[in-house]
Order: sequence, then C-alpha cells, then structure tokens
Amino acid sequence: MRALQGLRGPRAPALPLFLLCFLAAVRRSLEDGLSTAAPFTSLPVQEEITTKYSNLSSESHNISVTAAPYTSLPVQEEMMTKYSNLSLESHNISMTAMPMKENNKGNQICVDRGIMLQRNVTLVEQSNMPVEKNITLERPSNVELTCQFTTSGDLNSVNVTWKKGDKLLEDNYLVNATGSILYTQYRVAVIGSKQMGSYSCFFGEKKQHRGTFNLKVPEINGKNKPLITYVGDSVVLMCKCQDCLPLNWTWYGVNGSVQVPIGVPVNDKYVISGKHANETRLKITQLSEDDQGTYWCHAIFELGESEGHVELVVLSYLVPLKAFCAIVAEVVLLVTAILLFEMYTQKKKKPSGDGKEFEQGEQMKLDDSNGIENSGPRHRKNESVGQ
Amino acid sequence: MPPPGGTPPLHPPPDGGWGWVVVGAAFISIGFSYAFPKAVTVFFKEIQLIFNTTYSEIAWISSTMLAVMYAGGPISSVLVNKYGSRPVVMVGGLLCCLGMVSASYSTNVVELYLTMGFICGIGLAFNLQPALTIVGKYFYKKRPVANGLAMAGSPVFLSTLAPFNQFLFNTYGWKGSFMILGGLLLNCCVAGSLMRPVEPKASTESKNKVGVRETDSSMKKRQKQLSVWEKINKYLDFSLFKHRGFLIYLSGNVIMFLGFFAPVIFLAPYAKDKGIDEYSAAFLLSVMAFVDMFARPSVGLIANSKLIRPRIQYFFSFAVMFTGVCHLLCPLAEDYTSLVVYAVFFGLGFGSVSSVLFETLMDLVGAQRFSSAVGLVTVVECCPVLLGPPLAGKLVDETGQYKYMYLACGAIVVIASVWLLIGNAINYRLLAREKKKNIHTKESQETEPLKTSQSPNVNIKSGETETWKGAEVNPSERETNI
Repeated sequence: MRALQGLRGPRAPALPLFLLCFLAAVRRSLEDGLSTAAPFTSLPVQEEITTKYSNLSSESHNISVTAAPYTSLPVQEEMMTKYSNLSLESHNISMTAMPMKENNKGNQICVDRGIMLQRNVTLVEQSNMPVEKNITLERPSNVELTCQFTTSGDLNSVNVTWKKGDKLLEDNYLVNATGSILYTQYRVAVIGSKQMGSYSCFFGEKKQHRGTFNLKVPEINGKNKPLITYVGDSVVLMCKCQDCLPLNWTWYGVNGSVQVPIGVPVNDKYVISGKHANETRLKITQLSEDDQGTYWCHAIFELGESEGHVELVVLSYLVPLKAFCAIVAEVVLLVTAILLFEMYTQKKKKPSGDGKEFEQGEQMKLDDSNGIENSGPRHRKNESVGQ
Repeated sequence: MPPPGGTPPLHPPPDGGWGWVVVGAAFISIGFSYAFPKAVTVFFKEIQLIFNTTYSEIAWISSTMLAVMYAGGPISSVLVNKYGSRPVVMVGGLLCCLGMVSASYSTNVVELYLTMGFICGIGLAFNLQPALTIVGKYFYKKRPVANGLAMAGSPVFLSTLAPFNQFLFNTYGWKGSFMILGGLLLNCCVAGSLMRPVEPKASTESKNKVGVRETDSSMKKRQKQLSVWEKINKYLDFSLFKHRGFLIYLSGNVIMFLGFFAPVIFLAPYAKDKGIDEYSAAFLLSVMAFVDMFARPSVGLIANSKLIRPRIQYFFSFAVMFTGVCHLLCPLAEDYTSLVVYAVFFGLGFGSVSSVLFETLMDLVGAQRFSSAVGLVTVVECCPVLLGPPLAGKLVDETGQYKYMYLACGAIVVIASVWLLIGNAINYRLLAREKKKNIHTKESQETEPLKTSQSPNVNIKSGETETWKGAEVNPSERETNI
C-alpha cells in the first residue's frame, strides 16, 4: 500500500500532462482484497453479472475508479454463463497519456494551458515505461482485465489492441470511450495453464502505451538463507505458500543440473509430510556431504506449477571444532599468562612482605572513616591487650 | 560519607591500580551473565522448527537460565564467602562452557532445559555474584563509578552478542554456534583469573592467634551457644534479615522488579502493534541499549559526586521514579518519533537504576556482608523477575491493549520508588540517631576493657573474623608498645 501512496504523490501538480508509471507490480494481488471502487454499475447487464457472482471470490484491482457504460457483446455473455460456476475477477490498469515532444503533429496533443505547458513538456524526458500488474490465481476463474486510457486528444483515433504474450487477440474485448477516458476490457475464463501468462493492452498506432497483466500461480516460499547441518544429523526442509492450497507437493533434488524427484521409491531417508495443506516438509535423515545442494519443492495447482527452493549445506563436525579449539587455546594462554604475571609480581613483593602488612594495618587505622566503626577496632585492641 | 551499615573493609580498598583491571574483569562477567540469556533468543525461532515445538516451550530456556542464575545466588555467595571470587568465577566459566557444549548435542527440548537452562544458569550465577562482590572489595571511594562501569557490561555485551549470534548461526548452524558460544563463555575464566583477591594469604599466623584465644573457657561456652546459627551465618549471613536497610531495599526491589522488565520485552511488539515495521521496532531496542550503555558509567560518575553519594539511596529512589514516570507517559506516544524519545528516556532510566542497583546495596550492608546480601537478594528477586513479564502478557491479552500494561508497570515502579524513598528517609534518620548514640557510648566506654560484651560481637561477624583479627593484632601490639 505504501508503494501506491508514494506513487500518488507526484500525481498532484499538473499531472494530466505527465505520463505516469504505476508500478504496482510488487504487491500480490490477493492481498488487495476488495477495492474501494464501486463496480461498474451503469449497465443492467453488468449489474446482473456482478450480483450473480457476488458470493464467489471477486477480485477487483482498481487503481483509478470510474464508472462507465458498457456495450456488452453477446459472445461475452455466453462465455460468462458457460463458466458461471467459476469466480469472477476484475483487474484494472489506468494510464494517462501525455503529449510528447516528438508528437508535435498535433493529433495526439492537447496543449491546455498554452506555452507554459509546452515548456514543461520540453523540459521533461519521456520514457514509455510499461505499466504492469501481477495477478495471482490459484483456482480456475473468470478474469476481467480493464485498461483505462486518459488523453486530451482525439479518442477515436486511438487504436486499441490486446495481446497475449506475442499473439494478437482478436475477440473477447470491449472498447468504450467516455469523455476523455478510453476503456477497454478483456475477459477470459482461466481454466488451465494455457490461459495463464501475460496479457497486454496497447493504445496507439505505434503501440506506445501499454499495460500488462501477468497472470501467475501463487509463489512458494522456500528459504533464502542456506540451512546448515552436520554429517549424521537429520534436517527438515520446509516449503510454504501464504494463502494457497496446492493440490499436491513434490520434491526434487539436484544432481548436476538435473532435477531428480525425491521420495519416489519410498525409503527411510526421505520422509515427506505436511501439517497443513499450504506447507510441505521434507525430512532427511543420516545426512552426508553428498546430500548438500539445492532442493526444489513443486506445488501443483490446477492452473499450473510453482516452485520454491531450499539450500542445504552439510558441514563436517571438524569445522566448528577448530574454532572451538582455537578459542580454548586462547583462553588457556591468557589464563596462564595472567597467573604467571601475578606470581611474578607477588615474588617481587615478598621480600618486603612483612613490612607491607605492617603498613597496611597502620593505613587501616588512619583510613578508617566509618564513623561508628571507629569504636570497634579500639575495643578489640583493648581486649587483646587485656589478654 | 554515610556510615555503611556493616563492618568496615578488612583491608583498605585500593581504590585504583589493579582495581580497574578487576572492573574490566567484572565487566566481562556481568556482561555475560545479563546479556547471554537474552542474546540466545536469536536462535529460538530456528530451533523451534528443528525440535518441533511451540515458541513458548523454547522461550522457557531463557527463563530457566535467568531463574537458575538468580536462584543460584545464595550458593554462589556461600562459595565466595569461603573461597573468594576468583575460583568461583573460573568454575562458573567452566560450567557455562560445559552447559553449552552439551547443549549442542541435545536431541530434545528437555535436554536443552537441563544443559542450557540449568548448567549454564548455575555457571552464570557463579559469574554474577563474585563479580559484584569483588568490585565492592576493591573500591570504596570510587565505588559508584566502578559499579557503573562494571554494570555497563550488560548492554555492551547484549548489543554485541545478538548480531554475533546471528552471524554464528548463518555460518555454523545451531549446533556449531552452541559449541563456539561454549568456548566464548570460557573467557569468563580469563575474567576470573584477573580477579586477584584483595587480602594476601597471611591467614596462618592469625589462625594460631585465634586458637590461643579459643582455649579460654569462658569464651568457649559462649561460642558453643551460638555455634549452629553462627556456622550457618559464616556461610550465608542470614542475620541480614534483621538488617533494616537490607529489608527496605529487598522489599522495594521486589515491588520494582514486578514491573521493570516487562516494558523492555514488550517494546517491540508494542511498536509493531502501532503499525511500525519490524526493523524500526528492533531499532527502538537498539536505541535503548545504546543510551543504556552510556547512561550506566555516567550515572555512576554522578552518584560518586560529593553531593549525591551521601544521599545515594534517595538518588536510587529518584531513578526508579523516573523510570516509572516514563512508563506512565508511554501510552501518550503515538508515532514513531515519540516512541524513539520514549526509548531514549527509558534507556536513561533503566541505565541509572541498574548502575546504582548494587551500589546502594553495598552502601547499606557494607562490603563484607555484600556477597551474602546479593545472594539473598537475587534469590528473592527471582520471583518477580520471572513472574513480571508473563503477568504483563496476560494483562495485554485480557485488555487487548498494551496501554494498560504500561500504565500498570509504571504505577508499580512508582509505588516501589515511593516506598524506597520513605523507607530510606526513615533509615537515614535512624542511622544518624544511632551514630550519635554510639559516639556517646564510645566515649564513655573507652576507659573500660569490655571483654565480655565485645566477644559475642566478634564471634557473630563472618568467618573472616579470624583473618580480620589477625590483621588487627599487629597494629594493636604496636600501639601498646608505643
């Protein structure tokens, strides 16, 4: 959320003319939850669909919120009813076009405030940074991808295309224009790994403005830091995924550069278990230095596979032992040095030892500033004298 | 100078010279004792996974270590009274090493409790008490400074050990780390070897003199009467429980420790609860430790000044009150900056209290009885120190807010400070009155040899009486000669 807020900052002054690069890519889409945006309410069809699937998981990821009228194609509706048991997800990307230096041709530029803006424009370098959004999907669902394009130029002349990866998409998308905002929406029913990937909307002839939706399966967390173990130990490797429930987990070890499945011939050395569905544990016993390396855990979803990795380091027990022995040696050295030094200084003192005691007693008598206790020694002295 | 409520030091404390080396050694011992139980918590998250237990079961290791360290106080005191600081610290270092090395071979949590918790705890107890005792033996005039410097070991070691433990874990895993930490704890033996005893070993002469004295029949009878109680007191001075100052100190501290440590433990969760991220929350603790590090010696210096030293008990009460008020004002902190300010002030309060914590005890009971006193104090303080944080945690769970916990802790600490203030005010008055009385009686008694009334006093004083008396024989002879 902070990233978003930070990005909202530069929006404030004279923004309509600046191309914004929203990089909301890092945030996992699942965490956004339901947005505060109002769903598209203007069309009765639209309302029908959203209320129909209101009990299913509905994801809307809106950066900017505006309602817009829609003209729905019959094809769209057919597809939606076909997969009506799937959840509906909506994702939006919003872009604002800015008049650019090189486009002084005039058809895409709207210079609103005259020369002042032109000056601003010339000062700023343009970079067509693509706007990207990562969407995490676990189960098959209907996905709605919406791109909004704001420009102060002529909307009708703007060419809108959708692409999946490099393949141009011909149908299943709508285009609509309201005021100075151009909407385009693409709907797809994601039921398998084939429908996953990168979907991009393009505005403009030269494909200058582009928004990308990356449909991915949930990420798996292994461990970033290597696990350090010793020969003969047993270790538990764990892979976890935040809010997802994979269908199945598999583990692979790496031999050279090839991933070799683990636990396939079930033996005592490898035990795969998991307390909850969203995690898996691989217990390896009787470790040896051969077991060192990276282990991959694969989570299998309906929509594809995701993997995480854990690195295992197996050390010999001699490694810390050396450090331990070094420290013990240092301690023994210091202790003997200190005690020898002390004996040496004591020997130096000894010839004048008796005299020293004498002096100490005298000093004690003089030094005693303890108020009441002054009476004590005096009494004792009297006593010993009395004996 | 206020009269210390106990016997005068045997030999004049050097107040310098080798004393500063001893302060350095005490710095190491105290540093390990206080910082080690907290620093090992770095390993707990990983160990929890490996041993397949809950976090609270693992956290008990730290509590056990702390509990045993405090409860082992009397044992430590007895040994220090008998053998002196040096051998006890060295044995402590060996025990700690043994504990940690055997912990690296443990296979379940119970074994960790026994090795890390129990054995290491005893070893740390054998480090803490003697270190405090020997500082008292080496210093008198500059004792507050020495105490402040020695106590500064705790925050310094904590801020060094915590990241070091993380590094060890990343390089060697938990087993190797425990082994290496065991080796590191052996450095307590180095610290112990530096703790040269103050009095020279001239006890053979004095023992003979005492033998001569003991053959006197009238003395013998009186000795037999007190021998059982006296014997126990020789090892651990239980007569301290009749000591007014000691009782005030003990009761005040028990109340204080109930609400003292909980705010430290809950500072990071409180910050996270306010919406601050993990690293900034951890940074608050670092700020606190940093301020603490510098507060302890500085406050020791302040406590040593002519103005404060006679009234050091009041100073202690004010330091405790300052900390209590800090906690009471904590709920007012809403954003990160104000929490940092709170951490700074808390560090100051925590440091000043810790710095004079044992200095005030020394001031009350004197250096001779200090080792017994500190043993008794730690074993009694064991309860509030261990009960405080879980109770505070329960309060947080019940009310759902950290605010009430801070208010409760602040109130408890302020009550403790008020109790200490009033108690010590009364104590000072009574001591001044006794002093006047003693001066009058001393003047009247100087003419009579008081054999009979004096001997019980001599007997009751701890086992060091023998050497003490021996030291006195020479000057007395000299005086009569003159």
